[in-house]
Amino acid sequence: MEDYQTGEETAFVVDEVSTIVKEAVEGAIGENSYQQSRVKQWTNNVVEQCLSQLNKLGKPFKYIVTCIIMQKNGAGLQTACSCFWDNTTDGSCTVRWENKSMYCIVSVFGLAI
Amino acid sequence: MEEYHSGDEVAFNPDEASNAVKECIEGVIGGVDYSQNKVNQWTATIVEHSLTQLVKQGKPFKYIVNCAVMQKSGAGLHTANSCYWDTTTDGSCTVRWENRTMYCVVSVFAVAITL
Repeated sequence: MEDYQTGEETAFVVDEVSTIVKEAVEGAIGENSYQQSRVKQWTNNVVEQCLSQLNKLGKPFKYIVTCIIMQKNGAGLQTACSCFWDNTTDGSCTVRWENKSMYCIVSVFGLAI
Repeated sequence: MEEYHSGDEVAFNPDEASNAVKECIEGVIGGVDYSQNKVNQWTATIVEHSLTQLVKQGKPFKYIVNCAVMQKSGAGLHTANSCYWDTTTDGSCTVRWENRTMYCVVSVFAVAITL
């Protein structure tokens, strides 16, 4: 493994990740209405797009990206997550997005190698 | 950090994790109906208990436990996840559970700690 000399490049930067996620979501489902036949493709596109953009950052992290898309129908949805990791190096970021017909929640977890 | 000598101990065992998670879910929301003011507490308890059980297994992993509880009301829900990691050592498992009034989806991600 390479040695990373600069401390700045090896931190999980929430704002940077958040921007990447928002762009990925907008790009995949921005103007669309909820459609059962397409939602599987959308969730896949969102996570793949996020992951490839995150890799381009070139930081020494393993990533986990999860995406939930839910139709707006009056149902209640609650999500929670708990992490056992190294607080000094690892981090996460969750982005909530919605349009008229659906909610989209994307979580990114970055774990330092 | 301790050194782990045995190769068997360091692989992620999804079945073991899955069982631990199922017990936690049953323990928290096993016989109850969806309740908007309690759901917050339920998801938090499920993830905390699951994490505690996983850590007790004593394996050299970092864990992420994610839980979603949704009321059954005809709405469509789709989840996906994608992971960039070491496929030889890291792993995940997802448990789907439901009762009459709600669905519960718990995902566990385990990332090996390199010592």
